[in-house]
Amino acid sequence: MQGRQYWRSIERLLESPAIKEMLSDEFPEGASDPPRDLDRRSLFKLLGASMALAGLASCRRPEEKIVPYVNAPEGIIPGIPKQYATTMPWGTTALGVVVESHEGRPTKVEGNEMHPTTQGAASLWMQASILSLYDPDRSRNVLRRLAEEEESEAEQRPQEDSEEEEEPDTDIERPQLIRSNWDEFEAFWEEESARLEQQGGQGLAVLSRHYSSPSMARMMNRFRQRFPDSLWVAYDPAGESNILSALGSPETVIQPHYLFQRADTILALDCDFLLTEGDAVAAARGFSLGRNPEEGSSSQDESSESIGSGSSKMNRLYVIESTVSLTGANADHRLAVQSRNIPAIVERLAALVKNPSSREGELTGEIDERIRTIAHDLRNSDAPLVLAGRRQPTRVHAQILEINQVLGAIGKTVLLNSNPDARFGTVQDLSRLTDAMRRGDIQTLAILGPNPVYTAPADLDFKTAMQRIPAIIHLGSHVDETAIHSHWHLPEAHFLESWGDARAADGTVSIIQPLIAPLFSGRSVLDLLILMAEGPGRQAYDVVRETFGEGAWEKALHDGVVASQSSAGDPTSPEPVEATALPGESVVQPEAAPVVSPEGLEIVFSVDPSVYDGSFANNGWLQELPDPITKITWDNAALLSPSTGEDLEVENGDILRLELEGRHLEAPAWIVPGQAHGTVGLALGYGRTRGGFIAEGVGVDAYSLRTSRWPDVAGGLKVTKTGGRYRPAQTQEHWVMEGRPLVREGSLSQYRQHPGFASEPEEHLKAQPLWEAPEMTGQYQWGMTIDLNKCIGCNACIVACQSENNIPIVGRDQVRNSREMHWLRVDRYFTGPPESPEFVFQPVPCMHCENAPCEQVCPVAATVHDNEGINAMVYNRCIGTRYCSNNCPYKVRRFNFFNYTNSFPEIVKLSMNPDVTVRSRGVMEKCTYCIQRINEAKLKASQQDRAVQDGEIQTACQQSCPAQAIAFGDVSDSQTRVSTEKGSPRNYTLLAELYNQPRTSYLAKIRNPNPEWPESSEA
Amino acid sequence: MRKHKTDRFIKVLLLCSGLLFSAGCLRGCTSSRPPIHVNPNMDQQPKHIPQSSSEFFYDGAAMRTPVEGTIARGTVIDNPAFTTGIGQDGGFVDSPIQVDETVLARGQDRYEIYCTPCHGETGDGQSMLQDRTGVQSADLLQERLRSMPDGQIFDVITHGFGLMSSYAYPLSPMDRWSVVAYVRQLQAQGQLPQLQGTPEETETEQPAPLENQ
Repeated sequence: MQGRQYWRSIERLLESPAIKEMLSDEFPEGASDPPRDLDRRSLFKLLGASMALAGLASCRRPEEKIVPYVNAPEGIIPGIPKQYATTMPWGTTALGVVVESHEGRPTKVEGNEMHPTTQGAASLWMQASILSLYDPDRSRNVLRRLAEEEESEAEQRPQEDSEEEEEPDTDIERPQLIRSNWDEFEAFWEEESARLEQQGGQGLAVLSRHYSSPSMARMMNRFRQRFPDSLWVAYDPAGESNILSALGSPETVIQPHYLFQRADTILALDCDFLLTEGDAVAAARGFSLGRNPEEGSSSQDESSESIGSGSSKMNRLYVIESTVSLTGANADHRLAVQSRNIPAIVERLAALVKNPSSREGELTGEIDERIRTIAHDLRNSDAPLVLAGRRQPTRVHAQILEINQVLGAIGKTVLLNSNPDARFGTVQDLSRLTDAMRRGDIQTLAILGPNPVYTAPADLDFKTAMQRIPAIIHLGSHVDETAIHSHWHLPEAHFLESWGDARAADGTVSIIQPLIAPLFSGRSVLDLLILMAEGPGRQAYDVVRETFGEGAWEKALHDGVVASQSSAGDPTSPEPVEATALPGESVVQPEAAPVVSPEGLEIVFSVDPSVYDGSFANNGWLQELPDPITKITWDNAALLSPSTGEDLEVENGDILRLELEGRHLEAPAWIVPGQAHGTVGLALGYGRTRGGFIAEGVGVDAYSLRTSRWPDVAGGLKVTKTGGRYRPAQTQEHWVMEGRPLVREGSLSQYRQHPGFASEPEEHLKAQPLWEAPEMTGQYQWGMTIDLNKCIGCNACIVACQSENNIPIVGRDQVRNSREMHWLRVDRYFTGPPESPEFVFQPVPCMHCENAPCEQVCPVAATVHDNEGINAMVYNRCIGTRYCSNNCPYKVRRFNFFNYTNSFPEIVKLSMNPDVTVRSRGVMEKCTYCIQRINEAKLKASQQDRAVQDGEIQTACQQSCPAQAIAFGDVSDSQTRVSTEKGSPRNYTLLAELYNQPRTSYLAKIRNPNPEWPESSEA
Repeated sequence: MRKHKTDRFIKVLLLCSGLLFSAGCLRGCTSSRPPIHVNPNMDQQPKHIPQSSSEFFYDGAAMRTPVEGTIARGTVIDNPAFTTGIGQDGGFVDSPIQVDETVLARGQDRYEIYCTPCHGETGDGQSMLQDRTGVQSADLLQERLRSMPDGQIFDVITHGFGLMSSYAYPLSPMDRWSVVAYVRQLQAQGQLPQLQGTPEETETEQPAPLENQ
């Protein structure tokens, strides 16, 4: 294929002997071994499993009870799920979701097709939030610290008085928390608030997350009226405060909203807009819609109207960044540059955009030439868009605004909306709070949601600052690092359990309606704020209703979007802001943006692409989700470029000691092709010491190196090898398909000249079937296409599949043995030189071969073909020979080596999809094309005496895909979307020479490189 | 020697027949324990199918009632006359639906399932309930009910009345209005109405799945 070589890891490229040995085995070493060196997690799981087996030894069928509704609610037919629209708050924006509810239990989160931030798609965090709802380690009770006089008494009392879930702790510093209840807290607060009210709120401080909610804003005003001298600080380790500070202030928030679909030339500077920043779902949708290589075709998507006119153009993405983000991996041209050098690049770019002939500044040579090319392309573009990531300082964002103004992007590809309901804060605000705490100015501190002991920059030492405060109230979902140092811990309700509202960055307002009553008597931040501002009485529901009034309330709940009205003073209409009215660069004080030290190595902290900022750390789906670039699960690592690795003589898995400003941390090294030379990347969100069974002890705590001066990018890092080795559980080399043209790609110009480049290699094949093909006479013939040009590799499909199909997690040790159960994997290939590779992502589910090799070898007919072309698994017949997995050339079959599901706590059972079998030990499983969804649609159609319509069935992966890369439907009908896509010249199948006739096919990836791009002198 | 062998044979035979006898005895016995089930075969799975029990909730039921005030997709909204039978002035409304044959067929179908056991096939209150228990349920053909507004009958189906419980859970608002229409037809004719075609035929014309209403 075009002479390109694709490789999955550095070892593969260099053909190291170890990897050659590993590849000579079809299955990775250990895949068939019994478990060794059990980690705590697996051990408990096995214990649970063996106990369950002991229970079965009685050989009697367990007794089951039928428990019907006592008062059956209207509209619920047992067995038929219902959908509810609600909203997931996400920092200063909001994600519209539709949640499937089985008999009043939420089981699956999808995007809301009526909400512009999701348009029916769902990010991996939206999907995984369902598991967080049913997290067995969630905080269950109000806890109260014993007063000193009580403490001596309690020592004599038996142990059961103390919090049950707590293990006996050796931490002597930690005060004892005992179980309490909301009544006791309300009584406490009544007394406390009366005292505080008399002082005008002096001595009261509130620490909240960033939020964007009309009702929160109203209650916040009321709180201000009641306690005028109180201090309110919002802190979010993954927040966008640098961007928002450049546009407005915490009091008048102005948010950028990017229209990626309209943009034809995009430059992202250290900005992962496709996954971890801003409205990533809408960004990915817009980006993929603007990336249409077909000539003359108009945008086929109905959701285009909400974004603006569709374009048949193919956009071009430039990315300049330090660590490899998902956005960088999708770039047409990517420059690996240290994050601390990006301000200089932005300055140069600003000069070039204003005056193309401006002379060279700090930058010279090759990099300057490339910046000039980018600036030239941006200036010549009809719809340019420049954006910078949240780790870049405020002054960079002020310059970006200026660049967009000069380019004419404001109003075209960038909209600026004022958001009266949002609140954010900076690290400086947090440091002002800790200063006040140290001075003894704060007597009462209410922490509404965040976990500052874990997430605050290390130099602020939030934990010791807390010691001087006589009353700390903590509202949180877990008894976490902050909770154990508080006087009151209150369980926080999940968003699926509470009433509320939220405003997205584009101005869309929507209501949060609960799917289930709080499982653990938790209350939301809004609930608690109402209590604090007004005292007991009103509920969140009353306040939200008051915010929106009577009109169209039912419709807002039903649709999940509050219809915008033009009347003045209406809380739902967004106010566009004129660019000229913006403060621009004048707001940026030089001292607020200290220049990062150019010495030593640079360390870049980034939000983790699976556990985010650590708030999802106790979520097993996310812990086991491979990182899109490194493919590491259950850990984070210090990411180095190949050249930096060479300089330091470091190999994958060497434990490094990272030293920054007197603090140090030990982390395993991982070499990432494409990383900037001299940059060490470290993901936040790991190394939790408290926060749940799954979260604790996984990875290293990057927060412990962060300082308040340089929380995101810091220089002067010292790295030394400790000599230790650690092997992260990594899926990169699992399930390989050796040396065949599996991913196919071409450039746009190549495609225009030679459209059939992807499918032609198959034409010369004259393969014959080895066996008789099954008869496929069904009314429908199901098939799938995956468009590699659209796929951004975000992993949302993996989590969607896991949630829909009851796929268990197996733990780090089992992943090392290649026993991960994901039915759908996303392969990541590198191509090109290791220092500046290009990336390709390829999702691989079961191919549903018409001549399936797996079916031929099953001795018990457990995998058979149905007449609609589906390669079906009959779990009950399976005896676990694993012949089918051996014979599958795509390596998409997964085997239950253990009974991963039998040790589920009762609460996790509630999250299971009742329509899908929960598999047991010794059973093979794989992608079923979501057969439960197919059958549901077929039943509904036959009830209504019609055929299933195209688009009526969406597989879970297809539905969640933000980029709409997956199409599914009836391939025997030429009018369906999947048939249209299969007719594309880019269509090809994997391993066509085997004559398996897969029903799943791929569309080749098309890149859009700039023909004027200066080639690297090294190459 | 030989005798000894015979003794042993007889002993074994006795033991075997004894075992057989006791096994036969056990066969007829009832047991309060669940049946023997050697191969678990994923018959019990850690998930909750409808009407299953869950130790997690205080009431032992895995089926939960939706939170009051929430509105699911597909619920009829912003049409209180249709969903409650009560108009803006607080009085009962006339039927807001267009009655045609498919509506009547649906109404008859639902009526025969949910109403016949108490109110009888013709609506005169002569029913299985009365035959078996002597409890008299309302005669739908009486003058008081004939002059009742449509909305009030709808309201009774929705909330129940006297001994009658609510029928809102199996009957969607559209189904309830269909039943009201069918009851009106019963009242008008005083006997079984003559629909064109058999119920089976008309049924397939308008399936109107419950969950869509």
